[in-house]
Amino acid sequence: MTSTAAAGVSAEGATRALVASVQDLSIHFKTKAGMVHAVDGVSFDIRDGETLGLVGETGCGKSVTARSFMRLVASPPGVYAGGKIDFWSSETRAAGGGPVNLLTIADDEMLDIRGNRIAMIFQDPGKALNPALSIGNQLAEVFYQHRSDELLEPLGPNAPVIIRRAANQESGKVERVLLKLPPLRSKAAKVREEVEDHVAAALAETQIPNPRKIMDRYPHELSGGMKQRVLIAQALACNPDLLIADEPTTALDVTIQARILNLIRELQQRRRTSVLYISHDLSLVREISDRVAVMYAGRIAEIGRTDDVFRQPLHPYTRSLMAAVPSSRNKRGELAAIEGTVPELIDPQPSCRFHTRCPYAAGVCGEVDPRFLRHDFDHGVACHIYDEPAELGIRPDELPSYERRTR
Amino acid sequence: MTSVRAQSLEREGSVGDRPVMTLIDVEKHFPIKDGVLQKVVGHVKAVDGVSLEIRRGETLGLVGESGCGKTTLGRCISGITAPTGGGIYFRLSDVDRAALEDILATPGKERTPEQRKRMERIESRHLITALTGDAWRAYRRNCQVVFQDAFSSLNPRQLVKDIVGRPLRIHKEASGAELTERVVSLLESVGMGRQHLFRYPHQFSGGQRQRISIARALALDPEFIVLDEPTSALDVSVQAQILNLLHELQRDRGLTYLFISHDLGVVKLMSDRIAVMYLGEVVEQGTATELFERPRHPYTEALLAANPDLDADVDKEIEGLEGTVPDPANPPEGCRFHTRCPVATPICGWEVDDAVTWLSVETNLLDAMTAVERRSNFDATLAFADDGSAEAVGKAMTAGSVPPAMAPALESVSVDGSKVLLRFLPVPPVELEEVEPGHVTSCVLHTSRRREL
Repeated sequence: MTSTAAAGVSAEGATRALVASVQDLSIHFKTKAGMVHAVDGVSFDIRDGETLGLVGETGCGKSVTARSFMRLVASPPGVYAGGKIDFWSSETRAAGGGPVNLLTIADDEMLDIRGNRIAMIFQDPGKALNPALSIGNQLAEVFYQHRSDELLEPLGPNAPVIIRRAANQESGKVERVLLKLPPLRSKAAKVREEVEDHVAAALAETQIPNPRKIMDRYPHELSGGMKQRVLIAQALACNPDLLIADEPTTALDVTIQARILNLIRELQQRRRTSVLYISHDLSLVREISDRVAVMYAGRIAEIGRTDDVFRQPLHPYTRSLMAAVPSSRNKRGELAAIEGTVPELIDPQPSCRFHTRCPYAAGVCGEVDPRFLRHDFDHGVACHIYDEPAELGIRPDELPSYERRTR
Repeated sequence: MTSVRAQSLEREGSVGDRPVMTLIDVEKHFPIKDGVLQKVVGHVKAVDGVSLEIRRGETLGLVGESGCGKTTLGRCISGITAPTGGGIYFRLSDVDRAALEDILATPGKERTPEQRKRMERIESRHLITALTGDAWRAYRRNCQVVFQDAFSSLNPRQLVKDIVGRPLRIHKEASGAELTERVVSLLESVGMGRQHLFRYPHQFSGGQRQRISIARALALDPEFIVLDEPTSALDVSVQAQILNLLHELQRDRGLTYLFISHDLGVVKLMSDRIAVMYLGEVVEQGTATELFERPRHPYTEALLAANPDLDADVDKEIEGLEGTVPDPANPPEGCRFHTRCPVATPICGWEVDDAVTWLSVETNLLDAMTAVERRSNFDATLAFADDGSAEAVGKAMTAGSVPPAMAPALESVSVDGSKVLLRFLPVPPVELEEVEPGHVTSCVLHTSRRREL
């Protein structure tokens, strides 16, 4: 019920093709206390070439949602409890093929997509890079994994099998010795050169000065901003159709954050990559996204175009969240805090998850799951105020007017 | 109880009528040790000559990027680490301060016996590293800290009752049933209650843990609290709760805050005055509105330009800064920000390191470099493996591609065989200067050194 309505909202407003479509996704975690419904019936679309911002507070399920795109949720304790993620890669679309369900495809198909068609930038660049590999070797892995054909190009169509296997990183012990001996050595060196060219080009793309020098360095020798650039280079190396950025600037200083954000935006516009941008920072999401989805306690509360959501937030949670950000209009001590805390998600009963903290909550909110409704063009909300205003005693148009400056 | 009341009485008066903390040229240098004998080979200048004054009842905001020394400064002020230079004075009156500055201005040998005696007396009463007995205890009671990560600053094996009651027990304020009641009233003042007494820190959410930290800081009814990024680990909605609580407590109890944060929006909201730190130094200081509306330092401007603001115009692009923060063990000459400054001038402190950095980032010419002989930061000889590379470097340094701000500061470049001699015009260190009442900056574009341009 919820899912079809939610998908409907985005599909109706869509004029562009989709890259991915999440439908009724549920991911639970098994704990001693019971099943934690970390993601509980989430549906949204990512359109071709757009940046979708996924915003929410700690523990709302935004990272788990993102990781499920690449099947990176550890299982157990994670359980893919339902729903699907349809993904159209540029190759299948060119061939006129349909989508694949990322949750059910075979592991080797997933290997082909991961890092190639869908890539991810992680929050802490210090932890995402292997400290024992030089930057050059680290980035080379992407090309060996997904672009071995290109690496063999300088050798022509009939490259020796051993070299082929080396470019696919399949060499055995004996082969590795043979590769060091004269007849093959020069050919292996050519592949190596080709890899280095690819890596240098990928690094140059992210505006790293003097990329050849950086390739010999190790992660600990680079600053945080530089490491994040290396990760972005790695993610974009194969020109993915979908880039998932999971809080890419949270670990960085504000001046570096601005540069990384501008870099992501610029690369996205140049390559027409679709981006799923995850953040807890509303102002950042507003800065970079075309559309925004607001998550709360494992569900999408509201989704719509960035302008609409920030100018006229529909869901009481979105409104409260925006009001809680300190602004120049606030007087000291008069911030509009949201009282209470995020509810426990262990075997939850049907209800609006926000009803314990919502200023407008009525009986129905604690008993029935709100339906996802299309409120306005391309703007959907899951709230009883828009469904059964009579029950709550407040009509949508009676909500206090809200304005944050927009485009 | 009586002692607390007596203290509150002593504290009556208007906001800002007297200083609570006075910092004069505070330095904290951490030694870098190397080799088998752990010889000291250098110092990380985490805090390098900071002078500040925090007056009663006000909130001083301290902002800067990570690694600029703001947390170290907070730790020095709260007495967790001792500064390696300068002095931190507690409740130093304006009269004493004037006298002290007068004495400090005279070189050690020329001081008269009266001056020495006066200085000794001031230091034994106010200098926090020289306090003993009752004066020390009074300082410890009155200066408390709330840390960023409430989880690691609360003992996981203690109950809330023990955590919040510990300061009271140490200072022999209360025991037994009275202690429990005092803890309950402290918990109530931060929006918690009796039901939380017998729980462990892990049973609370982040916001509640921070409330417990605040209750502990309030236990001895202090005058001054160092808030070291109290909300940066929290979500926006909870952050708002904590900020409101902090303000309420300040209003009701007449607290003085040092609010350390990297979040400009939060600092602006909470602070009366703001000091901006960069690489161990305060580069600008002023009232919150003044600093945000008319920043007088390019670094402050850069921070503001990079800060995404929910209220700003959407079309306003956020802008970042080039380069990285220099090594605090070897901070740049002149203005420390000149290596990343978008409006740097020739008198900002260009030195040999800047030329070397520029050459290594923009060109490959330094690959053949074998040694650097440094006579000062402004004067050095670069030795190369062959004459050709030396000549190429000499050419590059005189060509038009040298950054326009650096070029006029270059006094001479001469190539001598395989060696290149670089000499920059030496510049004095920048000084903080008052540009408007209560607004100080060290940027040469705004201070009296503007005339040199």
